[in-house]
Amino acid sequence: MAPQTGNTRREFIARAAKAGISIAACGVVSYVLYDKKGPDGKAESQDLVTIPDFSVPTQANRTMAVVKGPDRVNNLNKAIDLLGGIERFVAAGDTVAIKPNVAFASPPIIGATANPELVAEMVRLCYKRGGAKQVIVTDNPINDPASCFMLSKIGKAATNAGARVVLPRKHLFEYTTVKGGKLIKNWPVFYGPLSKIDKLIGIAPVKDHHRSRASMTMKNWYGLLGGRRNIFHQDINTIIAELAMMIKPTLVILDGTEVMVTNGPTGGSLSDLKRTDTLIASCDQVAADSYGCGLLGLRVADLPYLAKAQKAGAGTTDYESLKPIMAV
Amino acid sequence: MSMRRSEVKRLESVASFCVLGVLVLIVAGIAVKQFRYDIGRFGIAPDTSETTSALSAKEPGTGNSGGSLLNELVPAQFRPLSEPSFYTADNLYEKINGKAPLYLESGFEKLFTRRLISRSQADLWMELFVYDMGTAKNAFSVYSVQKRSDAETLPGKRFAYKTANTLYLAAGRYYVEMVGSAASDILAAAMLELAEKINENPAVGDTAIPELELFGKEGLTADSIKLHPAGVFGFDGLSDTFTAQYRLDTETVTAFFSKRASSREALQLARQYYQFLLDNGGRDILAEEPDIKMVDFYGTIEIIRHKGAFVFGVHEARDAKSAVKLSEKLAENFTD
Repeated sequence: MAPQTGNTRREFIARAAKAGISIAACGVVSYVLYDKKGPDGKAESQDLVTIPDFSVPTQANRTMAVVKGPDRVNNLNKAIDLLGGIERFVAAGDTVAIKPNVAFASPPIIGATANPELVAEMVRLCYKRGGAKQVIVTDNPINDPASCFMLSKIGKAATNAGARVVLPRKHLFEYTTVKGGKLIKNWPVFYGPLSKIDKLIGIAPVKDHHRSRASMTMKNWYGLLGGRRNIFHQDINTIIAELAMMIKPTLVILDGTEVMVTNGPTGGSLSDLKRTDTLIASCDQVAADSYGCGLLGLRVADLPYLAKAQKAGAGTTDYESLKPIMAV
Repeated sequence: MSMRRSEVKRLESVASFCVLGVLVLIVAGIAVKQFRYDIGRFGIAPDTSETTSALSAKEPGTGNSGGSLLNELVPAQFRPLSEPSFYTADNLYEKINGKAPLYLESGFEKLFTRRLISRSQADLWMELFVYDMGTAKNAFSVYSVQKRSDAETLPGKRFAYKTANTLYLAAGRYYVEMVGSAASDILAAAMLELAEKINENPAVGDTAIPELELFGKEGLTADSIKLHPAGVFGFDGLSDTFTAQYRLDTETVTAFFSKRASSREALQLARQYYQFLLDNGGRDILAEEPDIKMVDFYGTIEIIRHKGAFVFGVHEARDAKSAVKLSEKLAENFTD
């Protein structure tokens, strides 16, 4: 009789049972440890903030004003008067935040940043005619914030006009998600300055932009994002539209006195600039940018983010439907 | 029987330990890797430490080794206003934001920057940008596509020009920008001084760009040659393409060429570009020579040819005969 080489039935059953228990145990442990959500890149206990709506009630045919002329400060005063005066936008005792484009540590003459005189005049208007309790001027620039505010001369101009300059600090950032947005989800924003204000005014120059073709009032809100925001450049049209969804400003000022027509957004040479002597004040940022793109020789259709923002309800590209007030 | 079972068990045990060992290594590898994921790459929201670094009071890379290069670049009547800063492809956007892709597409390696201020006038300062583009060809590319309309060429320097407040030059592997705070003679003189120092610096390396010689001299508009990294004439496929302006009998046209990896690739690209023009409203015109593709594109003539590894042609011409003649002259220079 040949020797028995296989297992007995008893041994087979015992081994099969052990193997079965091991597999089941692995399955249970895997199920318990499985993270269905996956990493979200932030602390789990982090609360999301919602940026308030800073817009003011609409007034028929007083949504947008376009003023032509070489003096941007005069143009600003005139445009705001045409929209009903600063009192319509700033009430006595309000705290106002002004968000100029201070993206780069570059001199004001090259037009890569908002004009310091324009920022200062807006601060003065808020205080003197609006009766604001406090005006803050803030941005989270691309370059070192202190250098940007100093070299662009916006810091000094704002301070001299009585504003408080707020530079970005870690504790001033909170996480937010734009409802209906695809990119701004659980993303850090420069929320601190916006959390205690009543009104928000954006001031941006009209600039050529290598990636988005144009940088104006909607793109200006990019300066409120924190984190590795450069990854959004891969989908620049969506992010600009979402910025317009995220921020509902009281007023935007689009400065087209001298526009950067080439080599944007940094420019450098005075020859990158062209005088178009135009300033736009608008309660509708999409309308302002839709008008402003014409100063760069572009059509609304050339900037897909405008249509996206309109579709999301952030404003209208058909600025003529707003019957903009034109003045010289 | 018991001896045999014991042998089998020993073998099983060794195999089991080997398998378990491999599994432990895999688990350890996953554990280590999962804590090092790149949030930027995967598009996941960053934690606050990312924000903190972005908000640092100092600019990125301050004091990096790039400073040694910039330390030599201080004009006599100027002093540094800031420490040298250093940027790589990973953080170039922190300095120039949306303009970064222009450099990245052209082979960007590093950027060194520094601000310099006049010792006598505090409102006169400039920022020096030294882009290390890896090769002279790459440096020429970013130099040429950004050339300003009011450029004033600097005598004695092949790739250098100034405007009212700036000076730009390509020197070997470096593309250099000097941006002044004002249109000032003092700044202009300081910029020229720096341009001399840069050109004399052995670090600029090889300055030769042989492709520039492939454009014939007759009718060529001086300083009109450009090297486009991508998307020439609105066609994404036409990358790494040189263009130049030529004055023909009655008009100025753009000639172009791009060298591909092989003759087959060149032929394929020529066909694709030809089809692109037809797809976008162009109308085929039968050329006399069989190797020439000619398209009437909304009233202008486009000529597309290939020879060896070169795709070349003429863009936006009105006179077909002159344009064909120009393309023939171009073809003579392509010996590959």
